[in-house]
Amino acid sequence: MNEELKKTLLNPIFKGNPITVLVLGICSSLAVTVQLKGACVMALSVIIVCGLSSLIVSLLRNSIPNRVRIIVQLVVVALMVILVDQVLKAYAYAVDKQLSVYIGLIITNCIVMGRIEAFALGNKPIPSMLDGLANGAGYGMILIIVAFFRELLGSGTLFGFRVLPASYVPNNLVILPPMALIILGCIVWVQRSIQKDLQEK
Amino acid sequence: MNTNNNVYTIVYTTIVVVIAAAILALAAMALKPRQQANIKAETISQMLTAAGFASKEDLAKNSNDQILSMYSDNIKTAFLIDAAGNKTDELETEVSSIELQDNLKAENKNIASGNPALPVYVFEKDGAEINVIPCYGAGLWGPIWGYIAFNADCTEIVGAYFDHESETPGLGAKIKDEIWFREQFKGKKVDFEHADNPFDIVKGGAPAGDASKIDAITGATMTCNGLDAALDTWLGAYIPFLQKKAGAAVEEDCCCCDGDECADCDHDHDHDHNHDHGHDHNHQHNHQEG
Repeated sequence: MNEELKKTLLNPIFKGNPITVLVLGICSSLAVTVQLKGACVMALSVIIVCGLSSLIVSLLRNSIPNRVRIIVQLVVVALMVILVDQVLKAYAYAVDKQLSVYIGLIITNCIVMGRIEAFALGNKPIPSMLDGLANGAGYGMILIIVAFFRELLGSGTLFGFRVLPASYVPNNLVILPPMALIILGCIVWVQRSIQKDLQEK
Repeated sequence: MNTNNNVYTIVYTTIVVVIAAAILALAAMALKPRQQANIKAETISQMLTAAGFASKEDLAKNSNDQILSMYSDNIKTAFLIDAAGNKTDELETEVSSIELQDNLKAENKNIASGNPALPVYVFEKDGAEINVIPCYGAGLWGPIWGYIAFNADCTEIVGAYFDHESETPGLGAKIKDEIWFREQFKGKKVDFEHADNPFDIVKGGAPAGDASKIDAITGATMTCNGLDAALDTWLGAYIPFLQKKAGAAVEEDCCCCDGDECADCDHDHDHDHNHDHGHDHNHQHNHQEG
């Protein structure tokens, strides 16, 4: 694998993470991180949507009329999201019920549109798809970390299995969205103390 | 090629949209049978949970087919009733062709217009009948619905299950998640005297000893109000049917206790409520003798 592709793949995971560095996709990361299972399915859905829509837009990039490019991109993203939602409804009904509206809201996830505008419109299909997949993965990683703490402390379980003793009193604050923001803040803090060049002067 | 040309732009967007629509239509058609099977199994497992056959978590481990056959094995009869509580139509209960009346939203409107087709699902558990009826209403963010199970003569609630589309997790969603909330329904009664308000979910705690009131959930006031309204509407609509059932059971009880212990009575005694009933009769009997 050449340097360029490696950078495309690894950059969004840590150095240029869409949530903690670009601060995109915050809304859904607050909403679907109450339980690990939901967060995993959401992460997988975003990876698929982001990768495939970047690929398709990149294939179309030379033919899309500039004036309506946002609309065309939206049609592609919406198509992917609805397909993912339909497949989940058919094959993972319980999880789809749990994620309810948030699968549909991937359409408005800034990461997807952001990567299409910033990368897929100007690059070849394969690097574009990898960029989409990697950004989805960067998003999913944060989602899973936040969900790990929220499910552990909020319900005393992981993937629905009880890990903390039954005498543990679940912390209700952790269940509510503000706690996701606090955990997210802690992750940003940790990342910035490791990666000094992110710190503003 | 000039991609900023007006004609090009219009033709291009049209083609993109038509292709997208075609793909979606195909996917929807291909996946529809599976999706509907999922919804059906989900509805049935909610009923089975309300009737007390298994917990929702255990049912979730079963495949759709297992849930359908569980329904078919345990159901005695399912039928529709009209506003006066009279049976109008049978629902198929064979495993291959299970019919459910699951368009509760439409029936919610029909109750208001006075011409509903309300479903009653009669299960048989440990030799006793369990009557399961649905309810439906508006929560804070979206629809909420549930199933309520009654004992054989419809005088006492033996279980309930509620679900919602988009209530707040940790707050309104507790009507589904908190087991203590639905456990409260056990042993409660529908107030036949007040058809417009037969059941109450009371904020701040239900008065002790009131048979048709339960506690609301802290932090879920709007959802509980919605559920309260849904219960009032639907239980109110079922009151003619429930009353008929209760009335018929009282008559049967009298016949039974006059003669020797019959089989019917035997399993009725399994229920605490009926047991009390029988006891009263015995008591009166003794009194007369004395």
